[in-house]
Amino acid sequence: MTTETIQPPKRSPRRRSFAPRYPGWLTAPSLIYYMIFFLGPLAILVVFSVATQAGFGSVSYTFSTSQFKALNDPLYIKVFRQTMLMAAGGTALTIAIGYPVAYWMSRYLTRYKTLALLLVIVPFWTSFLIRTYALKIILDPQGYLAHFVEWTGISNQFNVLYTGKAVAIGLAYNYLPLLILPVYASLERMDWKLVEAATDLGASPFKAFRQITLPLTLPGLITGALLVFIPMCGEYVIPQLLGGGQFAFVGTVIGSNFLGAQNWPFGSAMAIAFMVLLSIFVVIYIAFATREEQFGA
Amino acid sequence: MTERDPKLNILAPVETRPRLDRLERLVRRSGGGRMTRAEALGLGGLALLAAAGCGGKTSTGGGGGGASSSGAADPLAGKPMENNLVIYNWSQYDDPSTYKSFKTQNHVAIKETYYSSNDELLAKLQAGGTGYDIIVPSQNAVGELVELGSLMKLDKALIPNASAVESSWVKTSYDPTGDYKVVKDFGVTMFFYNNKIITEKPTTMKQFYDLLPKYGKVGRTNLMDGAEEVVPLALMALGYDPNTGDPAELDKAKSFLLSIRGGVTTIDSSNYINDASAGKIILGQGWNGDVRRILSARKKQGDITAVLPQDTSEKWADNWCIPATAPDPVAAHAWINHLCDPAVAVKEMEYHNYPIPIQAALDQTPADLKNDPLFNVPASYTDHYKFILNPSQEIVNARTQIYTAFQSA
Repeated sequence: MTTETIQPPKRSPRRRSFAPRYPGWLTAPSLIYYMIFFLGPLAILVVFSVATQAGFGSVSYTFSTSQFKALNDPLYIKVFRQTMLMAAGGTALTIAIGYPVAYWMSRYLTRYKTLALLLVIVPFWTSFLIRTYALKIILDPQGYLAHFVEWTGISNQFNVLYTGKAVAIGLAYNYLPLLILPVYASLERMDWKLVEAATDLGASPFKAFRQITLPLTLPGLITGALLVFIPMCGEYVIPQLLGGGQFAFVGTVIGSNFLGAQNWPFGSAMAIAFMVLLSIFVVIYIAFATREEQFGA
Repeated sequence: MTERDPKLNILAPVETRPRLDRLERLVRRSGGGRMTRAEALGLGGLALLAAAGCGGKTSTGGGGGGASSSGAADPLAGKPMENNLVIYNWSQYDDPSTYKSFKTQNHVAIKETYYSSNDELLAKLQAGGTGYDIIVPSQNAVGELVELGSLMKLDKALIPNASAVESSWVKTSYDPTGDYKVVKDFGVTMFFYNNKIITEKPTTMKQFYDLLPKYGKVGRTNLMDGAEEVVPLALMALGYDPNTGDPAELDKAKSFLLSIRGGVTTIDSSNYINDASAGKIILGQGWNGDVRRILSARKKQGDITAVLPQDTSEKWADNWCIPATAPDPVAAHAWINHLCDPAVAVKEMEYHNYPIPIQAALDQTPADLKNDPLFNVPASYTDHYKFILNPSQEIVNARTQIYTAFQSA
């Protein structure tokens, strides 16, 4: 490389053709937007989290770890644990519903594939709040679904609304498309001849699924699972509406500290701490995905 | 701040207490962080006022607002009415005819924007929101705003109709001088139960709580949500001051709340009216205006009994206030005066169904309102009921923590 600087510039069309065609500073507007509106709020949150409260709604900008120390309380650890358990339950339910749907769309549909994809996204076109209220009507203990369940005799008391089950159903419903789409994409990319080969070699359909399809779609599945798990952890409205306000999600507690108590430093510290906790999952995912790229099919 | 502050006892007239308290808070705060210029000025002014208050006879003027309210005796007297009035209010909280009559009488253009919680109002004002002439904070927010010096001292000479407001609603615990607000309307927190299912006849808030574990399994039960409702109401049921900061009392409220947690199905203040009207709640708390609606919705079934607690409960009040930064203070005073006109107040009450503490107006309301204790809550109850305030940030934080523990239990 050092010799090149002495020699007169040599024309090397092959290398040129791969170089970027436009100057890098053209991305400046996007980068500035990103820094102001994405990193800016985060920076403010960090500043608040090390500040201390000084009377009603005002903050004194010091550097103090007292907010984080206050977080290390069995109460908040319990809130973190409960939130992650609920989100994990919601994610499991989302996978249980979403994976078969994606599989069916990719493997069984030909002509109506696009229509099916459209139908998956359609609920996203209306307000999330209205859809959650609609779920309340469906889950109502005196609603049609309840009458139907009681009529069939599956259960003589349909009591789902305002329980953890209702929250899990609400979570799964609202985030389902975010799981279906990446799983569908990875199923579409998959070479189904591999499954054929496996069955030719005597694998049962279940074994072929477990050894071929599942490992090959795992990156898509994990991406989808994280895409739903992380926002579920920050959920605020669903536990309030479908859980009857009796579930303390991290988002709920942050909300009551910011709004009710006007305790911005503590709310910020809680948000930052939870973000760090969730980024552990992202790191696990990245490690996993890299290994997949190296050793996968 | 980590070591306990030694208590300082000063012998001084009782009227100066709010001032000295504020002085103490400001001094403490200045130890922790930077003070703004306005605070420094206010501190100096307050020190002078406090000194004057201790030394000589206490004057009624120049209260806690300090630098914000101007010092002149009657700065608004003789000033002409402005052409504009900007109201920041809860939505649909006033009769449309009230606006119309005010406009035609005073030739003032009214602009109104809305908020949905006191937190939203406080956040807006603290973020430097100016340009409002009239705001409608609830009692706890009034206390905070007075402390922050954000409210204008009302010029009573410009609000002659306010003299008709019942005396017990003028000087209140959150505005001891009665200088910063005129009560817009008030209400109480009570409870209701399904008398076909619940055979005990609870009459106090404590009895209500004690029934929760038994009936939580039978049907849906509901508490009002928010740390500022759940914790002070439990404190009152136990016979303590709702605004206490005593850690032992707060601890007792916490363990009491956790002991009844299993009997609470929902914690909700916004959807309970519809659900209770459909007969889905068998035991729940509610605000009197809402409970009136629930009762009338269940009239046919007749299965709901509404109870104004015998011993004590919460009373709340929404208040007309003028921010210290109001650009049109004369028009703002005229607005409050207009709303205190008995003829206007009657229409208002028929519109929003909450009582305005003006006897002349209450007497003119239709009989179904006037004679309904759920609307016109008798003073024999409200005299024993207490306002829930935000006495200090520490107490608010402690309540929030207890509420979180209650929710997550």
